[in-house]
Amino acid sequence: MIFHHILLQIFHNFNQERSISAPFHLLRGKRSGQTVQDVGIYQLHQYFGILPKLTRTKYNEELSTLIENQSLIVKDDGFYELTRNADEQLKKMQKLSLDGWHYRGNEHIYFARLSLIIQTLSHQRAGQMTFVPIQKDEQVQQWAKGFLKANQYKGGQLQPRLLNEIHSSLEQTNVEESGKNILILRLSGYGSSGLTWQQIGFQENMNDIDLQVIYIATLHNWMNIILANSEYFPLLHQMADGLRIKNPLTGSAFHSAELFNNGHSIEEISKIRNLKLSTIEDHIVELAMNEPHFKLEQFVSTVDIKKVFTAVDDYNTRKLKVLHEVVPHLTYFQLRLVLARGEQDAT
Amino acid sequence: MQLESILNKYFGYSNFRPGQKEVIENVLQGQDVIALLPTGMGKSLCYQLPGYIFDKPVLIISPLLSLMQDQVDQMKQFKEKRVIALNSFLNPAQKRTTIHYLHNYRFIFISPEMLLQEHVQQKLNSMELSLIVVDEAHCISQWGFDFRPDYLRIGQVIGKVNRPPILALSATATTKVLRDIESYLNMDGPYKFIHSVDRPNIHLGKMLFQGREDKIDWIMDHVSKSAGPGIIYTQSRSKTESLSGRLLQAGISCAAYHGGMDPLDRQFIQQQFIDGSLEWIVATNAFGMGVHKQNVRQVIHESLPSNMANYMQEIGRAGRDGKDSLAILLYAEGDEEFAKFVGIDDYPVDAHVDSYLSYRSRNEQPSSMIQNGEISETAFRVLDYWMNQLQPAEVRQQLTSMKYEKMRAVEEVMELIDTNKCMREKLVHYFGQTLDNTPNDCCQCCGMDYGKIIHRRENDATYPHLLNWKDRIEILLLGNS
Repeated sequence: MIFHHILLQIFHNFNQERSISAPFHLLRGKRSGQTVQDVGIYQLHQYFGILPKLTRTKYNEELSTLIENQSLIVKDDGFYELTRNADEQLKKMQKLSLDGWHYRGNEHIYFARLSLIIQTLSHQRAGQMTFVPIQKDEQVQQWAKGFLKANQYKGGQLQPRLLNEIHSSLEQTNVEESGKNILILRLSGYGSSGLTWQQIGFQENMNDIDLQVIYIATLHNWMNIILANSEYFPLLHQMADGLRIKNPLTGSAFHSAELFNNGHSIEEISKIRNLKLSTIEDHIVELAMNEPHFKLEQFVSTVDIKKVFTAVDDYNTRKLKVLHEVVPHLTYFQLRLVLARGEQDAT
Repeated sequence: MQLESILNKYFGYSNFRPGQKEVIENVLQGQDVIALLPTGMGKSLCYQLPGYIFDKPVLIISPLLSLMQDQVDQMKQFKEKRVIALNSFLNPAQKRTTIHYLHNYRFIFISPEMLLQEHVQQKLNSMELSLIVVDEAHCISQWGFDFRPDYLRIGQVIGKVNRPPILALSATATTKVLRDIESYLNMDGPYKFIHSVDRPNIHLGKMLFQGREDKIDWIMDHVSKSAGPGIIYTQSRSKTESLSGRLLQAGISCAAYHGGMDPLDRQFIQQQFIDGSLEWIVATNAFGMGVHKQNVRQVIHESLPSNMANYMQEIGRAGRDGKDSLAILLYAEGDEEFAKFVGIDDYPVDAHVDSYLSYRSRNEQPSSMIQNGEISETAFRVLDYWMNQLQPAEVRQQLTSMKYEKMRAVEEVMELIDTNKCMREKLVHYFGQTLDNTPNDCCQCCGMDYGKIIHRRENDATYPHLLNWKDRIEILLLGNS
């Protein structure tokens, strides 16, 4: 159910202007120009890359259910329409907030560290320091070792401190209790193993994919609380520090952005990097999406920005082709820039 | 020092298990040794103990990354810090450092792929080893159920002269495979310790059915009436999930286990199975390696194993504590066809030979076949090996005969189903051994009563009382008090 709601929300945001495959690429976090730019244009930051291992088969299965229960109509050209039924569901559904764009799977690193540290502290408290580490990744193991040493775990004071931090930070995290339960059931300790997804699903009467989504959402919200209040949660903050990506630009776009921020023009960057002009434009659009201080006015006048958004409202579309017909004096690049910025520069 | 006192000092045991002492004594005298010891009989001690007597590193060649990881984990648990696994899990920087300091370790685990790399060989040549262990040595034989072409190259790499003794270890090898081990590793008149493959405390049952669904019904009934802990082996991932789902619904504490699972899930299942909170596991053959549980009372095969060696290894997970246990092989008409299909499914065919040749003729890496989704990695390894050894026509012949061999292996398992003579004798004969005496309630054919071997199921599964997150995290960190 939860996953279906997310799919409907994504389809809704896409405004019937993308194919039925677009949500699939979005959820898997595909690093293509199209998917990344769509995140900005259709305001889909929440959902980017939350299910990197989603298979096409599974995705198609879920789509079939939406078609069967008459929420979605798939057209011959691979595009879709949302039904009134879907609109009803969208109105009623509970919002589950995610932060896929900024965590990009890093939430799993946080959880791996946490679970190994809890496992160790649990055994240490029981006076039983030989156990098989639940996390096999060498980097996670090294990190946990460093953390435990730096925080003087041998004294026995770390357990109550960490417990306090977990209690009060999760208390402040605004998600359903079931999400917090699931998360803590995934931890293991002395004499108490964590539960598998199958076991949790059986006990909570939930399917696999819904469990995963709730789990991810809980982690995102929890980490946001920890990172925003680091002075209150110094231990958890160490585990989460640096995992929320401040500059989500990918490799090549990152280089172009650096040159741009150093004052080079798009044409110059294209020459320096020996890349096509259109590629650099893609990078600048990505930068505009991600950099709050990006000055849109250096490319498009304030008047034109307003014109674009008026057109978006009037024609209820974000399709570049349509917008280009309405404001023909703007290039596609300029239009993409405006859409990438979203409404933040419109006023 | 006496071997017994070393055993006690480092491992905390006061006595050797059968075979261990003989193997260790011969290893210490510099003799090549082949040791065939059943699963759970303490194979790894045969090289771990000498490791504490020698002052030079022991090199252990191991075919499976998961197995290697498990061995390293176990040794670290026994406070051995000078142990390392050199495999593809390491990133380039870690690999460089590891190789640089390789001579400082007491136990070096290595995958065959890694052993073949030139800079690894250079390093190994520059240092002195006390012993080379070839674990799961049956992988060297194409007649073994788990042929690894890279294993064939071990013999070339370690050479013939000026080398330390070789200890080849296996749990399941036929006479034919034993001969292959000796010749491919260029072993020098090795001392052989062949333990009987028979496990008298495992009683061998079988049940024949008309249809597939009948097997499931029988399992549901049997498992709800008899006591575990137990393992149910089945062929496909989806089946582990559906069957365990049904058992859960019936109030039985169980879990599915297969190779495609979340790694954390696998850890949880092992932990729960060992601490007793999980009664049954429904698994593919991916389950077993590295599960050190002594009191498994039942192993049920829902589907036909693809060969005798697999069957032996899987039922061998029952009764490690020496107490009576039950292995039941289920069969429904047509199961052998399915088992054959699974057996040869992941195997190169003629079309792969053609494709391999066309990559070669285009001057492309044939290994691109893997990336292009034409072939699985394991199948490619076999194909690649033979393509480098033989002419294409011979490779085709080779593949056909191996495919035939795999199908025959299923027929051999079928003999257990078809026979009305002693199943135990069949099993032991397969490994080229003879059975001296049969236990009471030996097998279905000799006559047996399941009720005498396993207990009735007492209580209904009690689900762990689900705590809310606040209580659970408190118990994890502060304990119950």
